[in-house]
Amino acid sequence: MALFITKRLLMALATVLVVAVLAFLLVHAMPGSPGAVSLGAGASQEAIDEVNARLGWNDPLVVQFVRWLGDAVQGNLGTSLIDGRSVSDDLANRLPVTASLAAGATLLSGVLGVALGVTAAVRGGMVDRIVGGICGMAVALPAFWIGIIFVYLLAVQSSVFPATGYVPFEASPQDWALSLALPVITLAVGGAAFIARQTRASMLEALQQEHIRTLRATATPTWKILYVHALRYASLPIVAGIALQFIGLFGGSVIAEQLFAMPGLGQAVQTSVSTHDAPSVQGVVVIATVVVVAVNLVLELATKFLDPKLRAS
Amino acid sequence: MIPNVAPAPADSTAAAAAALPKSGPKAAFTKVSAHRLFASPGGVAGVLWLAALVVASLTAPLWLPFKTEDQDFTAVLSGPTAAHWLGTDELGRDLLSRIFASAAGTLGTSFITVIVAVGLGTILAMASAALGDRVEAVISRVTEIMMSVPGTVIILAVIGAVGTNIPVIMAILGILISAGIYRVMLGQAKSLQSQLYVDAAKVDGVSTLGISLRHVLPGLTNTIVVQSALIFAVGMLIQAGLAFIGFGPPIPQPSWGGMIQGASQHVYDAPWLMVPTGAVLALTVLAANAIGNALGKAPNAAASHLPSAAARRQRAKAVAAVGAAQVAAGTDAPPAKGQLSVRGLSVGVDGGPRLVTDVSFDVEQGTVLGLVGESGCGKTMTALSLLGLLPSGVVATGGQILWNGKNLAAATDREMEAIRGRDIALISQEPMRALDPMFTVGYQLTSAIRRLRKVGKAEARKEARSLLEKVGIVDAGRILKTYPHQISGGMAQRVAIALALSGRPRLLVADEPTTALDVTVQAEILSLLRSLVKDTGMSVVMVTHDLGVVADICDQVAVMYAGQVVENGKTANILDNPRHPYTLALLAADPHANHAADMPERLATISGQVPQPKDWPTGCRFMARCQFAGSACAAPVPLLPSGSEDGLVRCVKADELAVEGLEWVATEVPTHRLLDLTPTRTNVVEKDMA
Amino acid sequence: MSIATPSRQESSNAVLDGPMLEVKDLVVRYGRGRKAAAAPAAVDGVSFSIRPGETVGLVGESGSGKSTIGKAILGLQKTAGGTISYQGKEITHAGTAERRSLGGELRAVFQDPNSSLNPRNTVGASLAEPLRLRGVSAGDARAKAEAMLERVGLPREAVDRYPSQFSGGQRQRIAVARALICEPKLVVCDEAVSALDLSTQAQVLNLLADLRDERGLSYLFIAHDISVVQFLAQRVVVLYRGQVMESGPAAAVTENPKHPFTQALVAASPVPRPAEQAERRTLRESMGVRTASSVSATPGGCPFRQRCPLATELCAAERPALRTVGESDVACHYA
Repeated sequence: MALFITKRLLMALATVLVVAVLAFLLVHAMPGSPGAVSLGAGASQEAIDEVNARLGWNDPLVVQFVRWLGDAVQGNLGTSLIDGRSVSDDLANRLPVTASLAAGATLLSGVLGVALGVTAAVRGGMVDRIVGGICGMAVALPAFWIGIIFVYLLAVQSSVFPATGYVPFEASPQDWALSLALPVITLAVGGAAFIARQTRASMLEALQQEHIRTLRATATPTWKILYVHALRYASLPIVAGIALQFIGLFGGSVIAEQLFAMPGLGQAVQTSVSTHDAPSVQGVVVIATVVVVAVNLVLELATKFLDPKLRAS
Repeated sequence: MIPNVAPAPADSTAAAAAALPKSGPKAAFTKVSAHRLFASPGGVAGVLWLAALVVASLTAPLWLPFKTEDQDFTAVLSGPTAAHWLGTDELGRDLLSRIFASAAGTLGTSFITVIVAVGLGTILAMASAALGDRVEAVISRVTEIMMSVPGTVIILAVIGAVGTNIPVIMAILGILISAGIYRVMLGQAKSLQSQLYVDAAKVDGVSTLGISLRHVLPGLTNTIVVQSALIFAVGMLIQAGLAFIGFGPPIPQPSWGGMIQGASQHVYDAPWLMVPTGAVLALTVLAANAIGNALGKAPNAAASHLPSAAARRQRAKAVAAVGAAQVAAGTDAPPAKGQLSVRGLSVGVDGGPRLVTDVSFDVEQGTVLGLVGESGCGKTMTALSLLGLLPSGVVATGGQILWNGKNLAAATDREMEAIRGRDIALISQEPMRALDPMFTVGYQLTSAIRRLRKVGKAEARKEARSLLEKVGIVDAGRILKTYPHQISGGMAQRVAIALALSGRPRLLVADEPTTALDVTVQAEILSLLRSLVKDTGMSVVMVTHDLGVVADICDQVAVMYAGQVVENGKTANILDNPRHPYTLALLAADPHANHAADMPERLATISGQVPQPKDWPTGCRFMARCQFAGSACAAPVPLLPSGSEDGLVRCVKADELAVEGLEWVATEVPTHRLLDLTPTRTNVVEKDMA
Repeated sequence: MSIATPSRQESSNAVLDGPMLEVKDLVVRYGRGRKAAAAPAAVDGVSFSIRPGETVGLVGESGSGKSTIGKAILGLQKTAGGTISYQGKEITHAGTAERRSLGGELRAVFQDPNSSLNPRNTVGASLAEPLRLRGVSAGDARAKAEAMLERVGLPREAVDRYPSQFSGGQRQRIAVARALICEPKLVVCDEAVSALDLSTQAQVLNLLADLRDERGLSYLFIAHDISVVQFLAQRVVVLYRGQVMESGPAAAVTENPKHPFTQALVAASPVPRPAEQAERRTLRESMGVRTASSVSATPGGCPFRQRCPLATELCAAERPALRTVGESDVACHYA
C-alpha cells in the first residue's frame, strides 16, 4: 500500500511538472515580450529592453524555467506584468472562490445526479423516460445560457438571490452561501444530468449481474438489493464520474465566474490571457493542475478502497 | 467546460454487444448501423435537423432576408416580427440571418475537434491493444496525465499563445479530449484484439498492422460514430462557451456564443433575445446527442435480474391472469407436503413466443430430479420459474407449480419472497458470478442466515462457519474473510451451496451447478449434494446437459426437447432403456457412453439443430430430426405411459421402437450426400452402416 | 475440389521419417519481472511429439497449461525455454513472416465458435483470408471456399452469409473449413468441441475424424474431457499444473491409468449408465484423492502431491521423472 501511494505521488509530481513545462512554453509563445506587455503601448524600445533584461527574458529558456521552478517551489509565482502584484497572493485570494464554486457544484450535481439516476434505473418505465428526457435537455443546454435564465428568473424577477458578485465566507457565511447559490445551481444542472446518466447505466449494469439473482433467491429485501448491493457495485464508475465532474468544473468555472462576476481562478486566467500577462497565466495553470492532480490522487485511493479486487492486490 | 468527455455511459454495454454479436441475421450488419439510426425517431430527427442546418447555412447568401451586418435601426431589440422572424439584436441586426450564416462555421470547426479527438484516440487505443502491455502502459500513463489536467485552463493558455484562431484551438481541444476517447476505445479494442479470429489471423501470418486494420478497426466503427456524434456536441458547446467569454471569432463576425453573450447584456430589457440562439444551439447539441444515443443503444442488452418497478407491475398483471385461469379451471388433488408437483406449466416471453409448454413432473421429498436436454430446450426457464426468478419480460403463462398447497405459478412477488431461500433455494452455473464480488463470503453468508433464520449476529457467524464446514470447507475461518475473487471455482460453488442452505430449504434448484467446474471438482460437488440430500431430506431439481451427471445423482429424470418434456421416469429406466428417439440419440452421441476399447469410428449425430420457439411445429417437435419419423408424427403427441414403471414418453412410435429395438444410426445427411464423390470415401459409408 | 488425393498423402508421408511436431522441455511463464520468475511456470518442461497422421490428445484441468502449449506451438504465446520443431525445423521463436512461409501447414481450430470467426466478415471472406495471404486470386479463393464449405456439410451459398446466421455447430464447421482450406498437415484443436451441445459435438468430432482419415492429417487435440479425447486420439498426454503426468496410447491411459492423477481424472468422468456410474463413484470415493487445494502450489517436487493419496516425503523432495510403466510413460515415484 505504501509503495502504491509513493508511486502515485511520484506520478502526480511528474504530471504537474509536465504541465508546468507545457504552460511555460505556451506562455513564452504568447505575443509580446514581458516588457512590451507591462509598459503598454507607446513605450520606447529601450525601456522595453530594459524591463526584459531585468526579468531575464533573454536568458535561455531552460535557465528561465529552472529559475521559475525554483521560485515556485518556494511559493513565489512571480509578479503580474499588468499591476505588479504578487501572482501567488492574487491566486491565494482567488482559489477559495473557485474551490467553493467547484466543490458546491460537484456536491449538488453528485447528490442530485445519483438520486435521479438511481430512481430512473429502479423505477423504469415512464419515470425512466422522463428523467432521460430531462437529462438530455440539461446536457444539451449550455451552462452560460442556463445561468442567464437563472439570473433573469431568480435574481431579476424575484430577487431571491444576488445576481452577481461574491462574498467571502469570513465576511458573512450566509451571504457567502447566497452569492454561491446561482452559480452553483447553474453549473450543477449539466453536471447532475451527466452523473444521472452515469449512475443509471451503472445501476442497470449492476442489476444485470448474476449475484443479484442469488440475493433474490436468498430472500434479500428489494431495498437492500438496490441500495446496498447494486449501488455498492455501481459505486466505482459513479465515484469516477463525480471526480471527473469536479475536474471539469474546477477548470470550467470560468464561464460561471464571468457570468456572475466572481473573482475566481477562471476570471483570472481569462483576464490575464486577454492582457498577455504571462506570469499570471502560468500561475493559474500550475495551481489548477495541482488541485486537479490532487483530486485524482484521492479518487484513485478511493477506488482502491472501494474495489476489493484492487484492495487485495 | 470540458467535463463530459468521460466514457459515455451508454456505450459500455454497446461495446460488449458490438464485440460479441448475438445470433440473428440483422446483427451481422453492425458495420453499417444505419438501420439502427433510422429505427429511432430521435436519431431521424437529429439527422434531419443537422442536415437542414448545414444546407441552410451553406446556401444562406441565397435565401437569407438580410446580410449578417445589416442594421435596422427602426427595429432594435425587437421580438419576432413579419420582417424579422426571430427578432433583432441591439444593433438591429436580423437574428435569423446571423444564426444561420454562422452555423456552417460552428459545425465545421467542431468537426475538427471530432476528427482529431476520435482519430487520435482510436489510433492510440488500437496501438495499445496490438503492441502489448508495455506500450499500453506508456500510452495509458500519458493519457492519464492528459485527463488529469484542467482542460479549459490549458485551452485558454493556448488562446493566449495563438490568439483566437478557432481551427487551431479546436484541434488542440481535440487532442485533450482524445485521452477520454482512448479510455472508451481501449477496452473494446482489447476485447476485439483478444478474439479468437485474431488468433486465427495471427496463425495465418497476418501482420500486426493488418490485424488492427482488418479485424479491430471494423469492430470499432460503431463506437467511433457514436463518440464522434457526442464529441461533436461537446465541441459545439465549448466553442460557444469560448465565444461567450470573448474568445470567439473577431467581432463583427457572428457566432452563437457571442450572440448569447450579447443577449445576456440585455436580459433585463429584452429577454427574448436569449431564446432563438439558445434554442438553435441546444437543438443542434440535442441532435448530435440523439444520433449518438440512437447508434449507441445496445441491441441485445442483458436482462436485469431485478426488474424495475414498472416491469414488476407488468409481471404482477400476468401472474394474476394465470391465477385467475387456475381458479376457473379448478385444481386437482393437492400433492403431499414436501412434494413438488409441476402440472402443465407454460413459460413465455410476455406477449411473445412460448419458451416452455405444458411441462409436468413431480419431485418426491428427498429425491433428485434431473432436467436434461440440449441448450435452448427450456430447462433453465423451467427451473427458474420454480423460484419466480424468470428473467425480465419472461413470465409463467399457464399451468401450476404446486408446493405446500400453494400454486407458485400464480404467486405474487411478495408471496414468493417468503418462499425463496426458506423453502426453495438456488445454486447456479457460475459460482464466481453468483456471489457478490464487493462483499466478503462471511458477510454474504451471515446476513443470509440472520435474515432467513432470524438469529443474532454472533449466532449467525457461528452458523456460517458450521455451514461452510458442512459443505466440506476445511479452513472455514479463513474463507469467511475472503472475497469471492480470492477463491477457486470449486470453493466458490461450495460457498454458494452453503448460502443456499442458509435458510434450510426443502427444495434446491441447481442450474448446471457443475458445468463450469473441472471433472474432479464436479465429482466432489456431486458427492456433496448427494450427502446433503441424504442428511437433510431435501429434494433437488438438477438442470444439466450431461447424461453422466444424471446417471450419477438423479433418481428421476425428465428429458426436455424444444420446450417440452419428451420422456420422464426413473433414471435407470430411461438411461438404460430409452423410449424416446431423442433420448436414444443423445445417448448414442455421447462419447462417455463408450469405452476406449469399443469406441466407434463415428459417433451418432442428430442432423440439424433444436428449432427456435417460433418454428415449433404443432406435431412432434423432434420430427424433422428424427430417424424414425413417419406421417403419424405430424399430429400433436401427448405424453403417455411408456410401459416401464411410472415412465412417460411423448412419441407415437414408442411402442413400436421398444418392440423392434431399433438403434440410432451413426450418420448424418449432408456428409452422406457428398460421400459418393470419390471411391476412397465410400468406405466411410460402409463403416457407418455396419 | 481441393481434397488431397491418397497418392499425395503417401508421397508427403514418405518424405517425413521424423515427427511432424516435436516439443522439447517447453517452459512458459506468464508476466514479467521478479514476481513472474518466482511463480510456478504455466508450462514446466513439457515434451511430446506427434507423428505424421497421428492424433495426440492433450488433457488436463483448468490451469494445467494445455491451452498455453497450443498457443506456444501456434506462436501466440512467448516461451521461456525449450524448443518447438515442426518437421525438424525449429519454430520456437518464429516471427510473422516465417510463420507465413510455413505455407499454412500448421493451423488451428479454437474453442468458441462465437469468437473464432469475425462477425463483420462474410464466411467467404474469412475462409479466403489465409489463401489470399498466400497469393491465391480472389476467384480461386472463393471457389476453394465453396468447395471446402461443401466438404464440411454446409451449402455453397454460405460463402455470402455472416457467421451470426449460423448455429454454434455450423460455425464450428466453418472454423474447421477455415483451418483446412490451405491443406495443412497439422491442426491444433484447442477445446474445439467443448462449447457445443452433445449432438453437434458429435457432428464436429465425426467431421474431424473423417477429414483426418481422408487427408492423413495430424491433430494436437486439446481438451479437458478425457472421453472426447479418447474418441479421436491415438495417444494421450495428461497434464497437471504445467507438467506431464502420464502419456501413452489412448486406450492404455484411459482404461488402465497408472498415475494417481490420471486415475482420479478417469474415475471422475461420469458415464451415462447408472449402475456402472455407481460403481465408478464408489471406486473414486475409495481412492482418497484430496480436494483440489485452495493453497497455491509450492514449487519443487511432484505438483500433484498435495492431493495424492500415495504422496510421501520423497514426492515433496524430488520431482518424479517420466519413466516407462507398461505401455505408458508415467511421472510418479510410486506408479
